[in-house]
Amino acid sequence: MPNNISAGDTAWLLASAALVMLMTPALGFFYGGLVRRKNVLATIMHSFFILCLISVQWVLWGYTLAFGPDHGGIIGGLDWLALRGVGQDPGPYAPTVPHEAYMVFQMMFAVITPALITGAFAERKRFKAFVVFTLLWATFVYDPVAHWVWGGGWLGQLGALDFAGGTVVHITSGVSALVAALVLGRRVGYGRDALEPHDATMTVLGASLLWFGWFGFNAGSAITAGGLAANAFVVTNTAAAMAALTWMTVSWLHKGAPSVLGAAAGAVAGLVAITPASGYVDVSASILIGLGAGVFCYTAIQLTKRLKVDDALDVFGVHGIGGAWGALATGIFATVAINSGAKDGLVYGNPGQLGIQAIAVAASIIYSAVMTFVILKLIDVFVGLRVPENEEVLGLDASQHREAAYQI
Amino acid sequence: MEILAFVSFAVLVVAWLVAPSRGNVAVVSHAEDRKAA
Repeated sequence: MPNNISAGDTAWLLASAALVMLMTPALGFFYGGLVRRKNVLATIMHSFFILCLISVQWVLWGYTLAFGPDHGGIIGGLDWLALRGVGQDPGPYAPTVPHEAYMVFQMMFAVITPALITGAFAERKRFKAFVVFTLLWATFVYDPVAHWVWGGGWLGQLGALDFAGGTVVHITSGVSALVAALVLGRRVGYGRDALEPHDATMTVLGASLLWFGWFGFNAGSAITAGGLAANAFVVTNTAAAMAALTWMTVSWLHKGAPSVLGAAAGAVAGLVAITPASGYVDVSASILIGLGAGVFCYTAIQLTKRLKVDDALDVFGVHGIGGAWGALATGIFATVAINSGAKDGLVYGNPGQLGIQAIAVAASIIYSAVMTFVILKLIDVFVGLRVPENEEVLGLDASQHREAAYQI
Repeated sequence: MEILAFVSFAVLVVAWLVAPSRGNVAVVSHAEDRKAA
């Protein structure tokens, strides 16, 4: 077995894991810039803490639940509990890299997914509630859905295509964010005070680092250092750029000025949308996917605001809608010319693939919405979800962490 | 599909040409007032 290991594949996968690791602190900066200065440390801490928490959860039981030997298409067995049997030899998912390398690459996906949700409950969630929520959500939402799609579960068996996490990462986190925003309720002062971003430069820096890390997310998901990784890299960059241009243009026409934050959010929306498709579509399709991401995600956010849902940092609009669009677009634009191991989509004469993608989208939405609601309600009973109003007004940096971000 | 890709990019370029190009007059005036003061 060790003789099959490719130095090139292993090097690329480990480097990709490091790239994806960087995305979680980058997300902390992306979100941190968007909140008020009294909440910036608490917001960055959400991402940084999750990096630590899920790193341990994943090696102890997360990986085996998601990728362990299949049980009925629903969940992985406990054979690899605490990484027992996961070593330097290749595992069943990637024949040319050590099983540990594949595991740690997947760990970084498990880390960033719950971190994405934190943008919805920013500026008002109790830290203790956030800790418990993250642990339960990773175990009961992320790990099973990852198994369904990538670990030999029922959606994978059905033929659903998800190259790097449109359903597993973005739909689950985006829908859960919407549920969290509804369950927690609006922030104090919502609709009355200006809840403005305190540092747009921090947000643009965060978005740029996310874009950089996303090359590992998507091109790394090829698992091999070859042509498929190169294609994923190119379409990822193209879709991000096109979505940023589109979002900026739509916001310019809508609100009269080309928004810098809009360009940053648009780039992230494009990265989200190309994620499930990046190993299956060509560059022309990536331009259309980026265009759709810019239009659909921007529109969804305007609608959420009109409905007065306080999804504080627009997680549902970017990740829920972007992920759903990307998953469906995969069923439209996928081609075996890019990936001979996949299937053609609608425009190449296989409309059935779009139906399968729709099933995967619906299953991810329903399961993550129901489970997130149950988890949040349980936590509200036993721990309490929100900080008291006076602590929210004071700010979470002082009330939850007894620290201040800036001394100037 | 290549044609659609070119067309969608061209639509954006046209949108930039027709998009409003005036600055925020209130902010500009305020800045000028402060400069004069």
